[in-house]
Amino acid sequence: MKYLFTAVAALLIFASLAVKLSMPSTGTAVPVIYWVTDPNPARIEQAAGFSAWLIKAGHGERVTFTRVDDVSRFQKRRWSDNLIAAMRSTNAAGPKLWDKNLQPLAVKEQDLPLTISYPPVDLRLDYANSANEKKLIQGVSGVGSEISDLNSNTLHFSQAVGICDDVTQRALELGFDPGQTHPAIVPDLTVNGRQYAFPCNVSVGLYFVNKKTFEKYGVEVPPARWDTQTYERIGKQLVDAANPPGQRRTVFFADEVRSIDLYRSLGLSSFNETLTRCTINDPRFVQAIKLKYKWMYVDHLIPSLAERTGFDTQTGFGGPKLQLFNSNNYAMVTGGRWLLVQLRKFGDLDMSISEYPYFPGGMPNTTFYTRCAAVYAGAEQRDKAELFLAYLASADYNNQIVADADALPPNPKYADSEAFRNPPDHPTEHGIHQPFYEAAKNIAIAVPACPFVLKSVASRHINEAEDAFMNNRLTAEQAAEQAGRRVNEEIQRTLKEQPKLVPDYERRLELQKKIDAYRLANKPVPVEWIDNPFHRKWYAFNHWLAEEGGTK
Amino acid sequence: MLFLAPNFLGVLAFTVFPVLFSIMLAFTNWDLRLHNMFKDEPLKFVGLDNFTRLFTEADFTRYLGNTLFMMMGIPFSVGGSLLAAMLLSSDTRGGGGRTWAWLLASGGLVVSVALLAATGLATTGMTILFVGVACGILAMGMLGGVTVYRTLFYTPHFTAGVATFLLWKKLYNPESGPINAALQPVLDTLAGFVNKQPPTAVSGLRWVFLTGVAALLLWAVSKLCRMWNEGELSGRAMVLPMVLLTLPTVVAMYWTQTRGMPGYVLAGVMGSVGVWVLLRVFVGSRAFLPPTGGEGLGTGLMIALCAMTVQFILLGFSAVFANLPAMAADGLEAPKWIASYDWAKPSLMLMGLWGAIGSNNMLLYLAALTNVPGELYEAADIDGARRFQRFWHVTWPQLAPTTFFILVMSTIGGLQGGFEMAKTMTNGGPAGATTTLSYFIFIEGFETGRLSFAAAVSWALFILVFSITMFNWRFGNKYVND
Repeated sequence: MKYLFTAVAALLIFASLAVKLSMPSTGTAVPVIYWVTDPNPARIEQAAGFSAWLIKAGHGERVTFTRVDDVSRFQKRRWSDNLIAAMRSTNAAGPKLWDKNLQPLAVKEQDLPLTISYPPVDLRLDYANSANEKKLIQGVSGVGSEISDLNSNTLHFSQAVGICDDVTQRALELGFDPGQTHPAIVPDLTVNGRQYAFPCNVSVGLYFVNKKTFEKYGVEVPPARWDTQTYERIGKQLVDAANPPGQRRTVFFADEVRSIDLYRSLGLSSFNETLTRCTINDPRFVQAIKLKYKWMYVDHLIPSLAERTGFDTQTGFGGPKLQLFNSNNYAMVTGGRWLLVQLRKFGDLDMSISEYPYFPGGMPNTTFYTRCAAVYAGAEQRDKAELFLAYLASADYNNQIVADADALPPNPKYADSEAFRNPPDHPTEHGIHQPFYEAAKNIAIAVPACPFVLKSVASRHINEAEDAFMNNRLTAEQAAEQAGRRVNEEIQRTLKEQPKLVPDYERRLELQKKIDAYRLANKPVPVEWIDNPFHRKWYAFNHWLAEEGGTK
Repeated sequence: MLFLAPNFLGVLAFTVFPVLFSIMLAFTNWDLRLHNMFKDEPLKFVGLDNFTRLFTEADFTRYLGNTLFMMMGIPFSVGGSLLAAMLLSSDTRGGGGRTWAWLLASGGLVVSVALLAATGLATTGMTILFVGVACGILAMGMLGGVTVYRTLFYTPHFTAGVATFLLWKKLYNPESGPINAALQPVLDTLAGFVNKQPPTAVSGLRWVFLTGVAALLLWAVSKLCRMWNEGELSGRAMVLPMVLLTLPTVVAMYWTQTRGMPGYVLAGVMGSVGVWVLLRVFVGSRAFLPPTGGEGLGTGLMIALCAMTVQFILLGFSAVFANLPAMAADGLEAPKWIASYDWAKPSLMLMGLWGAIGSNNMLLYLAALTNVPGELYEAADIDGARRFQRFWHVTWPQLAPTTFFILVMSTIGGLQGGFEMAKTMTNGGPAGATTTLSYFIFIEGFETGRLSFAAAVSWALFILVFSITMFNWRFGNKYVND
């Protein structure tokens, strides 16, 4: 038996060596950094664009050849396709080192000396590790990827864990500081005034309206801005006209209504001004979820979870709702500008854009989201990875986002252009893009990040309570009470577990008392006292803010 | 030893060390937000804090409840596996007395296909399709023998979990899923039928089920009393099964669907039974609390648990029939399955049942059935035993060690399970209805970073598994050996 085992062991060792020798080498001519992102085909183009931008922006490394042999040796180094495509001779008329098929070309003696600029880093895409738990575990184990895509929820957790690099200083040096992006999204990139990420793109949710659906049923096309009463009136007209009585409902006014936009229009946020207390246990939350329930189960303007699942026969990027939008089953769908990437595949849809409804007399609003890139704190090539964040703020990258309609460009100045407003290749989309930019400027608000409870935990408790109400397990009032109580319990638990946070918490409590006193006395409140981005907007909407540099 | 070393080291590094490490973790305040290579916060020993927190954490109790609820499917899955194994151990080829079945199946198949071809996939198309498929499977078994069924039954086990979950997600689709497509015409017909009947006649049927609840209570109590009287069950061991048997009646007294007259009637029955038991105890010849402990507790509990489960099911049916006229007036709607809070857990249980029937349990039973000595059956035949008696007095006792093993393993699997299903199909929702303890551990560990608390939950789960297994060994094993 032992001979058999030895033979098997030897065979396995031999097979391992054979596999190792036959594998393509992963060694490269320059350091490699990995970008953990979603498997969107646009990422390939963006990664290639990064290599080209490095040269263009002067971050390339230079090498001067005086001998043909040196050129040949240089060509034999392991260059990726992106790097080869990005390489430039400093002399525009200089010879090319590679042909169109990226095969090395011979360089003649008379072409020397020759100076070549090449990217100092090779950016590779990693789709396999994009799950949050993988990023977390790899990060705390010291083997995280250099760049990770994060979102509004995960950035604050990753920062709390310590795996995101503080890029504040380098952002100022390289030009990707918060001043280069939309002001409303800055709370999603910073913690305590320090910057940890830069947006890959930003998104505000609005309704895409399929005008043909409204024409088909003889109902007026929704206005750009509307209150809940108008929304309900038009919605009822449409679903009544489209769904014959006694039959299964197949046409809905919209795919979704989110309670956050409804209760925020009444001046309620999930947290108070200083982010020290969850304030969701409030009649305005009750009013919002009751209205959502009515629209879902009484008026049938929006599908219930079961109805939505019922439609869910096909999935894809953006889900099945786009097919249903195209087939007139959903007259409107919620989403950011990025939905156009898929909607363009349906041909020239006749569309308009409407904001989310607000309660009469309330504040129109929508939520600002970002997919941002952060640098891993344990990365050896941090300085190279930070260049990628600078690339995200560049004209090259932003113009690519503008052209692809992949949400809004991180730098708002590139959205303020004719190419954005009226893309020449898509004449039917004229008038579709601008509302997103306007919404980002005027009504979009980031979801508040309380330093004492994780965003994901707070939203889980709130969503679960809302779900329980929608499933008739709790009354709206009980749902509000449960959500508020549980989030506040989480805050107290965090303070108990992390006593270092207590001084900041107490400072904020004092500030909250002052704000409450000012509000009671009807005195204007200095904006710098308010940490919750919603309340900053709400106070400004109601003219409750003191002038800049007011009493503190 | 040298050849064992790689395996031994692997177990040490990847099993023993993590297990020991997690014990240590459960007694500290290890939080990823405070303790990792980027943080210099010292790790603190917090004693039993993480464990005491379990008692105040509403989520833990709730998700433990979800886990236990889903485990109620285990007896059915074990029974299903046994039934499947018994079916698969018999010859299914056509011929002899089975020819009529072959003809019937083929006829059903032909009629179903013809109806489908004639009517297309109309509202009843899915029902016809199901009938056709069932007949087709039956016919295949007649032609191909038991191998066809063994392969079909074992298919769920070697199909990738996530793939089957996605398949079930489609099956459960409330609007376009085949289950509801088949169920809805049946419910429509039923609603039509119910609407034609006097409402009191339909709702009066609830008393049939309530009578069933009372009858089961009487049967189980008299069975336990008989065991006690014959010395198979100690007085101490009788207490817990008796308490379990009272639960459905207590629930009936407070549940909105059965509160009032039904609850009072059941309470009256339970009171009478209680008096009868007490009388038997006091006039009985045996001491109720003998010095020895839990003799026969395993058997007693098994009887009580089975009776209790069926009692609850009957209570459910009684509530359904009480409300049926009102429900049918607006038409009966098929369940929303995983999209509904009330149906989400049963949906996952049904899916688990499907997977469990054709699992390794079935293979174990198949193997055990072949080991039952033939002479025992011959002896039973000579004694004039009928089919059921052969099963009850020969097969079932002979399968006891296998059943015991399967029950222990299923209980462990049930307590640890539910994560993949919940993650893939429901994300733990709606409103946390399908979040099990294993999913809770994932949330605490990876969503909030509280690794020490997650480890404490894991160890609480282990203690639960260990206690139940020990209980099984202590009482069930004895029953098996007896």
